[in-house]
Amino acid sequence: MKMTKAVYKLRPNDNWRIGEHESWFADMAAHGFFLKKMGIPFAKFVKGDPKKMRYRIEVNSGDEITSEQKQMYAENGWEYVTSYNLFHVFSSPADLQAPELHTDPAEQAFTIETLDTKLTFSTIITITGMLLLIGMQAAVWFLDETPTLVLIEGSAVFQVIFGLFLLYSTYLSLQAAISIRKLRRNLIEGKPIDHHAPWKKRFQTQIIIGILLTIVMGLIAIIPIFQLAKIDTKTLPESSPDLPFIRLADLENDPDFIREEPVFFNDDVDRGNQYSFNWSPLAPLQYETSEHGFIPGEIQKYGEEYSSSLDTKVYQLRFPSLAEPVISDLIQSRSFQTEREDFIETSHPELDLLITYDKHKTKMVFAHKGNAVMYASYYGHTNIETIIENTVEKIKLISE
Amino acid sequence: MAYNGGPMTEAMYYVLLALMRPNHGYQLMHSIAEVSNGRVNMGPGTLYGVLSRMQKDGLISLTEEDRRRKTYEITAEGEKALRLEHDRLKAMIEDSRILEGGDEND
Repeated sequence: MKMTKAVYKLRPNDNWRIGEHESWFADMAAHGFFLKKMGIPFAKFVKGDPKKMRYRIEVNSGDEITSEQKQMYAENGWEYVTSYNLFHVFSSPADLQAPELHTDPAEQAFTIETLDTKLTFSTIITITGMLLLIGMQAAVWFLDETPTLVLIEGSAVFQVIFGLFLLYSTYLSLQAAISIRKLRRNLIEGKPIDHHAPWKKRFQTQIIIGILLTIVMGLIAIIPIFQLAKIDTKTLPESSPDLPFIRLADLENDPDFIREEPVFFNDDVDRGNQYSFNWSPLAPLQYETSEHGFIPGEIQKYGEEYSSSLDTKVYQLRFPSLAEPVISDLIQSRSFQTEREDFIETSHPELDLLITYDKHKTKMVFAHKGNAVMYASYYGHTNIETIIENTVEKIKLISE
Repeated sequence: MAYNGGPMTEAMYYVLLALMRPNHGYQLMHSIAEVSNGRVNMGPGTLYGVLSRMQKDGLISLTEEDRRRKTYEITAEGEKALRLEHDRLKAMIEDSRILEGGDEND
């Protein structure tokens, strides 16, 4: 009789649940599936006539299993099936009534000593690695003291989820180490392995978690790609009534005001008058603009022509609760040239939050309405009220 | 964990005892059952574990290795350990005399 039809089953990855694996293999055999090989993430079975089988998993100090061991077991009715890592599977038909492999739990405890040491060692490595990585990520994240901005501008979401994933794998590693230590202690105390440990619920949960994790990791991997597809920088059009950011020309409101001649181009974009858009899971709509202009012939105190500039940032956030931290970080990002007390919170009937800065010719407006945040930094002689008015008009376009 | 002279597991004791006559794996299981008057039926897993561990600890050694099976024998160190354990067990039995008379009181 030749059993050729191979069947692949998803398998849990917690090899250290020895009793559960033994009882899983036995239940599979009772349904006519006989273990052939353990892979990742599938175990290979071959189809045959249902049969009552006993399975035992031996843990050795090395990957190899000696022919002597196989022979000694075979002489007692236990056939070698397959190995994975330090685990070696033997099986015997139930009606053969082969003698139990291990008759002395205290002696069996010695066989998992190497596994115990190995798991403890790898857990220490995993924890150290995780702490280092999380420390490094946190350092990068808080480098400019603007954690919320880093978070919504994209890269940190990836890091946070990756960090959680690391935490989860550390937890698994720790769980394995603790469980094997416990099993070893039980064996020393004379408590044998339960060869009929219930496996169904645990394995199914594990497999579901595994699938979910794979999906989540897949999605995370897509984020940067999605972002790349969305990000772009363009030269600002002369006017942009439909775009949700304020414009320098609207602030100046002077027919003679003209945009500065392009000083340098890059990728066909006028770097002096450009706008970029960006996407991230927490801020699906983001704009950043920068423009410069002047009024020819309007001579200033020191003989130079009047010129002005405007930089803005606009965020439509996934959660309105992010708005205030974002504004706080935006202020922080300007802390190099400014004093914190020069930022004054005022109220405006059409805004949820308004903070202004007005010193010399530098004026800044930070506004938040619903889930929208707008920031403008202007250098010129237009008064702050005009900037606020323009901001209020534009923020309506994106706030919900 | 190398053997440090402490109390032996039952499996160790009987394997050493059975190896007072050189023997090979499969036969050893029967010898153990024999010397223990059928009380100790050691499983092949336990036996293999004890053999490889005691070999590492130098309590037993391989005599000859033909193609088919390995034959083990006790080493001088192993015999010393076995005798020490035997003395310890004997002392324990002697210390337990109180139990021997215990039946009469029932």
